[in-house]
Amino acid sequence: MSYRDRLEGLAADEPESLLKLLKQEDEEIESKLGLNNGMLNLHRVINEDPGLRKRIERILDRFYPNDINAKSQENNEEDVDDIYDADEHRVKSDAKLRIVDTEEEVIPPENFSHIVGEIYRSSFPRPENFPFLQNSIKLKSIMVLIPEDYPQENLDFMSQAKIKLFQIGMSGNKEPFVNIPSDLLTSALEVAINPENHPILIHCNRGKHRTGCLVGCIRRLQNWSLTMIFDEYRRFAFPKARALDQQFIEMYDEEKIKKTAHEKKWLPIKW
Amino acid sequence: MEPDFDDEDDHIYINEETELGRGNVLVSHAPKQRIVPPLNFCPVERYLYRSGQPSPVNFQFLLDLQLKTIIWLANEEPQDTLLEFCDSHAIQLQFATINPDGGEDDNPWDGLTEHSIIAALQTIVNAENYPLLVCCGMGRHRTGTVIGCLRRIMGWNLASVSEEYRRFAGSRGGRILVELLIEAFDTQLVEIDRVKAPQWLLQDAQ
Repeated sequence: MSYRDRLEGLAADEPESLLKLLKQEDEEIESKLGLNNGMLNLHRVINEDPGLRKRIERILDRFYPNDINAKSQENNEEDVDDIYDADEHRVKSDAKLRIVDTEEEVIPPENFSHIVGEIYRSSFPRPENFPFLQNSIKLKSIMVLIPEDYPQENLDFMSQAKIKLFQIGMSGNKEPFVNIPSDLLTSALEVAINPENHPILIHCNRGKHRTGCLVGCIRRLQNWSLTMIFDEYRRFAFPKARALDQQFIEMYDEEKIKKTAHEKKWLPIKW
Repeated sequence: MEPDFDDEDDHIYINEETELGRGNVLVSHAPKQRIVPPLNFCPVERYLYRSGQPSPVNFQFLLDLQLKTIIWLANEEPQDTLLEFCDSHAIQLQFATINPDGGEDDNPWDGLTEHSIIAALQTIVNAENYPLLVCCGMGRHRTGTVIGCLRRIMGWNLASVSEEYRRFAGSRGGRILVELLIEAFDTQLVEIDRVKAPQWLLQDAQ
């Protein structure tokens, strides 16, 4: 019997136990199904078969009707990218953990770039990026701009590499009326431009919107013209640039951070 | 009497407030100076930058970077203002000619030859030339080619190199030929002097 047949059998006869299985680690599932050869990746098997995926979605639907509704609503919005999905992160990380050792190349995270001096930006780092962050960039700190719990494998990596974590959870600028509070941004800037934390990596989920707002405000501290700030914002947010984010960058009240930065002699930020 | 109306329109009030007898206008603070980086500007590594062709509005910004070298990736000369700027601030301007044998036949939209890429990279892997700016007309394809090949030397995986190239390639997207060139580039052709190489390069070459 193939894995797929087993799964289909389970889905048809015992939706409850399948649901339970879905919530466990791959290895546990493998031993439950009697497949200890490390070949099974449940999520992959399900994703590769549209029929099977539909049926599993229907089953999940029965158990979590509210969840599914919420999810499909989110998907209709333009910006699913902003929603950090711990499961998605874990699935991708698991898939990568198995091949990462054989690679000699270094793999920077998506949307990775220098900002100024030893301040960097990127999307959410995954295990395949850890060697790059540790050995090439020699990070001292990471600042994450999402409110959700940081994944365990990232925490493990950081404690092993002696990288300090700063978490400043923001929910992003979204219609209607969801705004990054200015004082949150100010405390994020205090971390970002403090040379004691450098080299520092700033990231959110995709490294587009929240990170883009923060970088825009760093550029304001460098006195960049707004046109060029917006141009840079759009380059990294492409193809999902938001007018609200650009407004936020323009409206951000920099008085407080400028005062702090001058007192501590952080300005001008060194190239 | 239409001519009168025309005269009215032609008359420019240089200071309307004073003309109307409202006295002096107090300016509480000088307009804030805004720094303008060149088109498509971005730091590549510490003290290494990329951009499109800098124009006079960018010069103050370039001074802040304290550039020692600018690599200009084109056959044609850059604007006179840039030549003068480099001259007066002792910035070494290096031409990485696209096609040295092209003569009259070469096109500004031609890609770079392997020879010119290596020449530019040879300058980039020497920290004595830093701080350094790599630029071309728009900072898209030629600059992208050279930076892409540099990323290959640094051991970046090709997907990340391609993503970075396309980020700067503008709305019409990347050129397949550029990416093929980056992929096929033989990184061994660039000689790296370990004594003179920038720190970040050595860490990855080890």
